[in-house]
Amino acid sequence: MRLLIVEDNVALADELVADLQRAGYAVDWLADGRDALYQGASEPYDLILLDLGLPGKSGLEILREWRATGMNRPVLILTARDHWAERIDGLKAGADDYLTKPFHPEELQLRIQALLRRAHGQVNQPQLDVAGLQLDEAQQTVIKNGESIELTAAEFSLLRYFMLHSGKIISKSQLNDHLYDGESERDSNVIEVHVNHLRSKLGKTAIETKRGQGYRFLGIDNS
Amino acid sequence: MMRAFNSIQQRLSISLITVLIVVGLIFAQMSLWLFDQGLRRYLENHLRNETELLVAALARGVNNIELDQRRISAAYNRPFSGHYFAIDLDDQQWRSRSSWDYALPEPAQPGLMQALADGPQEQQLLIVRQDYRRFGKNILIVVAQDYTPMLDSFRRVQWIAGGLGLGALILLVLLQRYLVARALQPLEQVREQIAQLQQGQRSALDTKVPQELHSLVQQINHLLQHTEDTLTRSRNALGNLGHALKTPLAILFSLANRQELNHHLELRESLRNQLEHMQQRISRELGRARLAGEALPGAYFDCAAEVPDLVNTLGQIHGRKLAIKWSAPDNLRLPWDRQDILELLGNLLDNACKWAHENVQLNIEQTDSDFILTIDDDGPGIAAALREQVVARGARIDEHIQGHGLGLGIVRDIVEHCKGDLSLHDSPLGGLQVVIRLPAPKS
Repeated sequence: MRLLIVEDNVALADELVADLQRAGYAVDWLADGRDALYQGASEPYDLILLDLGLPGKSGLEILREWRATGMNRPVLILTARDHWAERIDGLKAGADDYLTKPFHPEELQLRIQALLRRAHGQVNQPQLDVAGLQLDEAQQTVIKNGESIELTAAEFSLLRYFMLHSGKIISKSQLNDHLYDGESERDSNVIEVHVNHLRSKLGKTAIETKRGQGYRFLGIDNS
Repeated sequence: MMRAFNSIQQRLSISLITVLIVVGLIFAQMSLWLFDQGLRRYLENHLRNETELLVAALARGVNNIELDQRRISAAYNRPFSGHYFAIDLDDQQWRSRSSWDYALPEPAQPGLMQALADGPQEQQLLIVRQDYRRFGKNILIVVAQDYTPMLDSFRRVQWIAGGLGLGALILLVLLQRYLVARALQPLEQVREQIAQLQQGQRSALDTKVPQELHSLVQQINHLLQHTEDTLTRSRNALGNLGHALKTPLAILFSLANRQELNHHLELRESLRNQLEHMQQRISRELGRARLAGEALPGAYFDCAAEVPDLVNTLGQIHGRKLAIKWSAPDNLRLPWDRQDILELLGNLLDNACKWAHENVQLNIEQTDSDFILTIDDDGPGIAAALREQVVARGARIDEHIQGHGLGLGIVRDIVEHCKGDLSLHDSPLGGLQVVIRLPAPKS
């Protein structure tokens, strides 16, 4: 999952980037509103964290412009403005959720997980539960038949992406786009290696290879 | 009508009536007096002529001087006719037959007697004495005429004039009331608009008023604008201050969560506690400082425009299958600042949503003097014993009830600001019912 953080406070942005990378997300960071307006719409982010008081262009304006052009990726507003009048303005402008500063990092993680699940059609579930597997996002482990299986950071990110896109064909370039931030080097062979590790942990049939097209996550329900 | 308006009207009426009565009485009395004097002078001349006729009727008789009865007016022979005379020679006297047994008083001086004399049969007599010298004798003639018919008609004129004057006075007062009411109409309009302002039905006064009121209305509008600008400015400043304080707090929260502190759990816990404390304090104080309260008389909260957005927002935030229903009379406007009421309802509904299983209900009603906001949920509710603690004035409910998810601090601030009160009850839905009563601002 690849996130964009738009936040003009460098210290807070550093903390957020570090936190979210630890949680297995690929994270890009922008501080200027005008850059965010362009990049947020052109890069394939899975979710955008948007501050409201930005230099260049205010967060609400950016959000309105995005929504006006049909950009429908989930946006979580992150702001110090905690009044209901402002909250209503934010959500009316097209935000999916609204978190006020200061916040507990765990709270932010939970909101991001919930928004991503919701964006992929898994409404009102406390955790990712797909095709017989449950993903524990806090511990970064997967539970298969009641048994917890350890995952590396890369495997966890990959499996989360697969589980959110269960049953769909996913190309390698799509995985590259969504698992690495804008500055990482991308190597499809690395993905192949991680897919093989996941298969060895979950069973060979959990992830199907579609020659020339990519992968498809099937889980363990049908094995 | 208002007291101040009435008093201008009354003051004008009283002064007008006083001036009219005083001037009218003086004028009427003066003209009557002048007329009376003129009439008496005219009658005096007439009576002098009478004396001359009487002198002419005297003639030297056989051995005495005689009064030729044929040459005197018949009125002197009819009893109590109102015309009398008395002629005094040195040794002879004649009196008119009309005077019967009545003796005419004899003025000390020749000419018109100043006062009227009492005559027979309640007559009032105007008396003239004239002295002559004829036939080598002093002749003293006193003639009198009854003045009561004139006095009677004066009295009648007085009554008629009084009646007419009274009628004119009533007419004038009515006319004056109407004119004053018309002239004060713009004041009345401004007063009505100020009342509307207080009820939140308008945000500025109409500037199409007469010249005399123009600067007043303009000043009021200016003041309103100024208050609103000040409020906006201070809210912006508070927003910036909040931003400046909360962003570093967010960083500190994040730092306290660092892996390096995984082995110092107590340190992390106390850092978090302190940060939590700071955050609550800042939110509460900034929230309180932002309240407009009654500073803005033109402010209002339009239920039909604002509540649906708030309900949608809550639905989006809470996500679950919650049914948030609301009801309010059509076109109801609450006469308080929009942001204050949003904050009040937002916090209460947010809380209700957190605890509700499925249903949250908001009802807004208006009674004669109050607005009643009722928030119901079907959650677990609060035990009756604990409720009193929540409602008790000055209780530090923040710490107390935070665990119960009832961040009522800012709600209480707003309710106090609006001089209302808050009470907790069992909800018909099964959970907690919060009732807020806000008294309508008096105009």
